[in-house]
Amino acid sequence: MKEIVELSDKTIILERNDFLKVKGSIDSNVYYVESGSLKVFVLDEYEEQIIRFGYKENLLASLDSFLTGRPSAFYIQAIKKTTLRVITKQQIEKFLQKESNRVLWTRILESLILQQLEREIDILTNSPKERYQRVLKRSPQLFQEIPNRLIANYLRMSAETLSRLKKS
Amino acid sequence: MISIKVYKKKFLEVCIKFKNIMQAENLIQSLIEQTRQIINQVEQLKTFDSHQLTWKANPTSWNILECLEHLNLYGDFYLPEIESKIRNSNSKNETTFKSGFLGGYFAKSMLPKEKLNKMKTFKDKNPLNAKLDKSVIEKFIGQQVKLLDLLNKSRNVNLNNVRIETSISSMIRLKLGDTFQFFINHIIRHLKQIERIQAELKNG
Repeated sequence: MKEIVELSDKTIILERNDFLKVKGSIDSNVYYVESGSLKVFVLDEYEEQIIRFGYKENLLASLDSFLTGRPSAFYIQAIKKTTLRVITKQQIEKFLQKESNRVLWTRILESLILQQLEREIDILTNSPKERYQRVLKRSPQLFQEIPNRLIANYLRMSAETLSRLKKS
Repeated sequence: MISIKVYKKKFLEVCIKFKNIMQAENLIQSLIEQTRQIINQVEQLKTFDSHQLTWKANPTSWNILECLEHLNLYGDFYLPEIESKIRNSNSKNETTFKSGFLGGYFAKSMLPKEKLNKMKTFKDKNPLNAKLDKSVIEKFIGQQVKLLDLLNKSRNVNLNNVRIETSISSMIRLKLGDTFQFFINHIIRHLKQIERIQAELKNG
């Protein structure tokens, strides 16, 4: 991942609640989170549904826009003050001209697909307790970085249910 | 002999040069980006206390909440109007947009200039001394989310053909593409005013 971050020649700083991206924009950049945290969500009739988080040392992108160059429905918003390194699609394409770099990039994409599959199982799991345990096991750091009320949204449960599960 | 095709291409190039014709998707992207910046600027106002939000330089000028409420009153008029025109349009999307004479002029005239160009406010859009609280900010952000939704939906219609009645008169109708730009420029104008109020409060 270090190799990817080193491609960047631009840093952006978001204040708390600043939007990095809104619905309908085309954003083909990849971002590396140096500090802070962000949430990726969609709005369903004004109701926010969090799809994933980005925090320290994560890569984050609107993968649909990145792959297709088309508008994406995601919102990305800073949860607190956040510093991001920007890696453009052009920089990545140039990087991928080298064979050995393509191997690395494939690994990153594979790990992304695996993460997405895990998330898919999360969403399809009925029991709130099981959903909570799956995420806790997979990403214990999430519970250090992100406020409970947002994790509850991500887990599709009320903040009260989450706090009860955490105590049990 | 130069074919008509070549003429048409030349004509288009000249039009693009004078910037009254553009790719519809580019226009939508630019409007979405402006809306993102608008939301970010107003999100930061949520951290202000009520003294900062209601301070005014003199009794006849607006405070920050009054500026936002003025914008909300415009949103209450235009957003439902735009929504219904998009919903009821059977036009197909068109890849280019050509700004109308009047619409382009209106949109440009809204932008704040270097030197303050004061404008008259219509009485029904003047919130001076109305009882306002922080919910005005929530309402404003909600309207911007709605605006993003409409910008997304506008991809399916023709920005040239769909026409929106203005709040000035139902006789004056502007192209949807111009209405979006006009509406957003009006917001930018008053966010600049809010920046000035912030500066005055700091220095005063």
